[in-house]
Amino acid sequence: MSDQRSSDADDNAAAPVVELRGIRRSFGGLQALSGVSMTLRRGEIVGLLGENGAGKSTLVKILTGVLEPDGGQIVVDGEVRRVSNPRVARELGIAATYQEPAVFPDLDVAENLFAGRQPTRRGIVDWGAMYKKAEEVFREIGVDLDPRTPVYQLGIADRQIIEIAKSLISEARVLILDEPTSVLSSREVDSLFVLLNSLRDRGISLVFVSHKLDEVKAITDRVVVLRDGTLVAEKPTSDVSVSELVQMMCGRAIGDLYPSLTRVAGDTILEVENLTRRGYFQNVSFSLRRGEILGLAGLVGAGRTELAEAIFGISPPDSGSMTLDGIPYTAVSPRHAVRVGIAYLPEDRLSNGLVMGMRVPFNMTMTVWSRIANRFGRFRTRVMYRQSAQLAERVQLQAGRLNQLTSSLSGGNQQKVVLGKWLATEPRILILDEPTHGIDVGTKAEVLGIVAELAASGVAVIFISSELEEVRAMSTRLLVMREGSIVAEFATPVDAHVVLEAASGVVARQES
Amino acid sequence: MIADVALSATRRGRVRSLVRRSDTALIGLIVLITLVATATLSDFRTLSNINNLLNTTALIAIVAIGEAVVILARQIDLSVGAILGICAYLVGSWSGHVSGPFGPVFGVLLALGLGAAFGLGNALLINVFKMPAIIATLATLSIYTGLQIIVNNGSQLYLTQVPKWLAGLRGNAWFGIGTFIWIAVICLIVVTFILRRTRFGRDIYALGSNPDAAVYLGVKIRVRTYQIFALCGALAGLGGLLYTSQFGNVDATAGNGMNLTVIAAAVVGGVSLFGGAGTALSAVLGALLLGEIQNILELTRISIFAEQTLQGAAIVIAVAVYAVVSRRLRRPVRREAFLSDHPTLDTAAIDAAGGASNG
Amino acid sequence: MARVRQLVLSWEAGLVVLTVLIVIIGQSADHDLISSFNLQTTALNNVILLCLALGVAPVIMTGDIDLSVVGTLALSGVVMGDLMSHGMATGLAIAIGLVIALICGLINGLLVVLFDLPALAVTLGTMGAYTGISFLILGGLAITTFPNSVVSLGSSNLTGTQIPFCVVVVLVIAAIMAYLVHFTTWGKSLFAVGGNRKAALFSGIAVNRVRIITFVISGFLAGFAGLLFLGNYETAQAGMGASELLPAITAVILGGVSAYGGTGTIPGVVIAAVLLALLQSALGLHGFSGQGQTMAVGFLLIIAIGAPPLARSARDWSRRRRAGVVEIASAGAGESKGGSAGSGEAVRSTAVN
Repeated sequence: MSDQRSSDADDNAAAPVVELRGIRRSFGGLQALSGVSMTLRRGEIVGLLGENGAGKSTLVKILTGVLEPDGGQIVVDGEVRRVSNPRVARELGIAATYQEPAVFPDLDVAENLFAGRQPTRRGIVDWGAMYKKAEEVFREIGVDLDPRTPVYQLGIADRQIIEIAKSLISEARVLILDEPTSVLSSREVDSLFVLLNSLRDRGISLVFVSHKLDEVKAITDRVVVLRDGTLVAEKPTSDVSVSELVQMMCGRAIGDLYPSLTRVAGDTILEVENLTRRGYFQNVSFSLRRGEILGLAGLVGAGRTELAEAIFGISPPDSGSMTLDGIPYTAVSPRHAVRVGIAYLPEDRLSNGLVMGMRVPFNMTMTVWSRIANRFGRFRTRVMYRQSAQLAERVQLQAGRLNQLTSSLSGGNQQKVVLGKWLATEPRILILDEPTHGIDVGTKAEVLGIVAELAASGVAVIFISSELEEVRAMSTRLLVMREGSIVAEFATPVDAHVVLEAASGVVARQES
Repeated sequence: MIADVALSATRRGRVRSLVRRSDTALIGLIVLITLVATATLSDFRTLSNINNLLNTTALIAIVAIGEAVVILARQIDLSVGAILGICAYLVGSWSGHVSGPFGPVFGVLLALGLGAAFGLGNALLINVFKMPAIIATLATLSIYTGLQIIVNNGSQLYLTQVPKWLAGLRGNAWFGIGTFIWIAVICLIVVTFILRRTRFGRDIYALGSNPDAAVYLGVKIRVRTYQIFALCGALAGLGGLLYTSQFGNVDATAGNGMNLTVIAAAVVGGVSLFGGAGTALSAVLGALLLGEIQNILELTRISIFAEQTLQGAAIVIAVAVYAVVSRRLRRPVRREAFLSDHPTLDTAAIDAAGGASNG
Repeated sequence: MARVRQLVLSWEAGLVVLTVLIVIIGQSADHDLISSFNLQTTALNNVILLCLALGVAPVIMTGDIDLSVVGTLALSGVVMGDLMSHGMATGLAIAIGLVIALICGLINGLLVVLFDLPALAVTLGTMGAYTGISFLILGGLAITTFPNSVVSLGSSNLTGTQIPFCVVVVLVIAAIMAYLVHFTTWGKSLFAVGGNRKAALFSGIAVNRVRIITFVISGFLAGFAGLLFLGNYETAQAGMGASELLPAITAVILGGVSAYGGTGTIPGVVIAAVLLALLQSALGLHGFSGQGQTMAVGFLLIIAIGAPPLARSARDWSRRRRAGVVEIASAGAGESKGGSAGSGEAVRSTAVN
């Protein structure tokens, strides 16, 4: 254990603040957590690790009162409590910060810290006290920030600090940081770590949820690894190596989940040269061949989605060039991209992929509505139904689902609709961004099978995924992005830890 | 007009708030226009014109302050004109019942209370019926206007029916400054205090800046909505009282068209329609500026009918300017630059050193 | 069978039932409601409201709003009236007026869509601006003489029948709008854009174009409504038609178009307009003044928009009391991937949109 533990009696230091006992939670048919138990103690930083779908975010939601567990107990200060909503969690001293800090941009820093609980003197707001307390807090944690600054002037690193300081002021005893460093530069990360250490020294129990193993190794005292909803390991950080962590996270061997891939060496269809978008990615160059599945691995915030959006014309790049089948291609708009044969299945199907209020056939054919219209613009509904039936078959969507409201479908079926929508355009290039995110195993296998078939038929696929196992199994070639650049290229099959190390920037020493 | 904030991206914020700078700019503009007008327009600098201008502006400013409060919370109230109109009539006719020194007190309380009641009606629709404010207040606009007509009962309120203290209010002056102006200043001070120094006021800004976060942090949005619209209504009621004094005769069209005027005043003065930015002073300055321009247009006979065009265009321009400027000002939420030299950590070295470095 | 059930339980069916109810009640109370004379008068009084509503409906369906229609009505009406009173050929004057209306709509569209400004604020401002310009043109004057063709368009009946010509015209417009909205790709795009603008954009729909076109159509129909106004009331006055804003919006919302966009039908809007017309007529026959009728419209708007969510929250509340566990959506990051905490910055809850 680290020796920075405060010099209080060891009992006090090791006293558990929050205990989770046997937490179970499921969604529909999916068991997200099956009997997870962990303890959070005073004055320590615990790393919470696990792949996408391992259950980390569900656990965090249960701790913060957003969700309630189906089974198990939450024990705070020795008493079993029911954390039924975020307010209760806050009153119990459990706070969390997320990637997108929730701040009031028009107000100044001090007020953001005290929002909803401004200090008052005889009933009126005491600004003097507010500024003083804010300055005190910042001094205590070693942050140089003027409390009078309006927050809209501040960048995201500072906003995060405000979130953290807020939890201090509300006297949180447990602070959960969900992927705090994914949008920070490395210098900002260093500052953050100084802050986290000083928080730990004050006795706060910190939970550091992250994929970045080098950072986890650097800052945490203890690591907890989740996999498929169970806790597979809990160890002092100093007792594990990065490669062991990777092993624990990745676990089982690749099973029948993944289809076999045909490796066709088609001709190049897309050439990307020195593509840059300031703040998101820089100097990205690669080529894409017909029939291949080019995996794009990387940590959250590496810039993969932004790259995809640049190619698809949602947010055009600042500089660089692209060639499509030999002809120069400028990404102007999604409409244009669709017309030249590029399809993009976005990450968040709920907000970007589907119009929930419309029925399935409409969503399924949305990309080709202009083709469904006749010469005069009349929308031929019968043609639409026919097309959507065909597409449903291709994506293995049961016929009974066909005329339902999209909102009533399960996540997996919804994703099939989105996939169908893009198949309808008969694309030459299909970009998939986290295509199996949040869908059940069975549908996952079906979707991946369809993707493999597509590739086999000559479509060029770019497969973006944060699930290590999936992206390795589904790619015929694998690129790794980190902080906006392509840092590695592997031929598959490739070992998981090699990919993870490239993604997190950890270079493995030659094993002796 | 709106933004003039230092664009330095350092951690030490140099400027206290956005609005202060724009207030100064506005004041400068108003002073400038006044000077030019006084110098060039003989009609402008007559005592009666100035008096008239200030009285009308004061009335609008008071109602605009109320509207500003609502807009700050990211809501809107289209019914203020009707509330003013009804209160003008009712206060004028009912306050005659209380004679003596309590008359004015009763009158003011009546105006505030009635106005607040109508404002609560608006909030009720928003809270209970879950209507968006724009549609709710569009509906109450018609309902309250209808009430106005019913209350007037086909005729109007005559100056003779209005108690003396009210009729004479407009002409009076305390320490040389007209009563209307005093009242407007008092409202300005009180509301500024509320906005700046009470939890209620700060909650308004929070709700306007980020409603979701505000609710999440425990701001009681339903209660605040009632309070916000009640305050706006109360100020509109007070405006109604002044209206009765200003015009003497109150008929069923009192307050028509006031809605656009007060929204324009607030918006031009720097209250953002997106919520969260602006002050009571913004509304007053906006009312002053627009009132002055209106006055000048009338005097130069450009047109007495320019009012609506002016207000409408002012709103569009103000919104556009604010949107453009605030987009330029707000820092992008993603990281700015990549540092090309992120050290790659040596795993074995880390493992050997036993973990956490102390930063 | 399912489709029949769908039709019977639909919002539009409910409106029809309400309309029939009003007719029955009103007729029994005053015996005059469905007399041909009264129907004629009622129709004449309400074509303008329907014309405006037909233009505003697509705008609201895409998630925007257009308050400036009455301003456009006044402006193009005043322009047409003024030109005609100065001797310009009727056809030319009308054409100019309609072009101006188109431009008014286009300005709205450009400001809202290309500059990405909130539609509420912009159209609030342009409403004032357009109305104000009508004042600048005509001042306090009123024009009361118009060419016969205009008057007959606005007031007289179809030859040989009791049906006013303008009603037929507006119903034809309604039919065209219904076709555009329900049978063309542009119409489907309206629902997509209103339902989820981002998803529509990502699917390759020309979102900007769709939105701008709705504003242009809204402006055009407002201009046409101005023309009808001239013939109907035989008056051109600055600021005319201002009182039609509330009824027009009420007709749209009552007709089933959600205030947030994405749902609604044109037939629904037409039925709602008929309902409103009959309601106002019945009230008028029963002694309610014009303003009283407007108040009733206001109440109806409240009920139309407030009843569904009230019913829903009542149902939810009772369901929650029976169940035990509360699941709160939002307020949590996605599994380490993007997904802002439920308190992101881009929020449009109740009001100014």
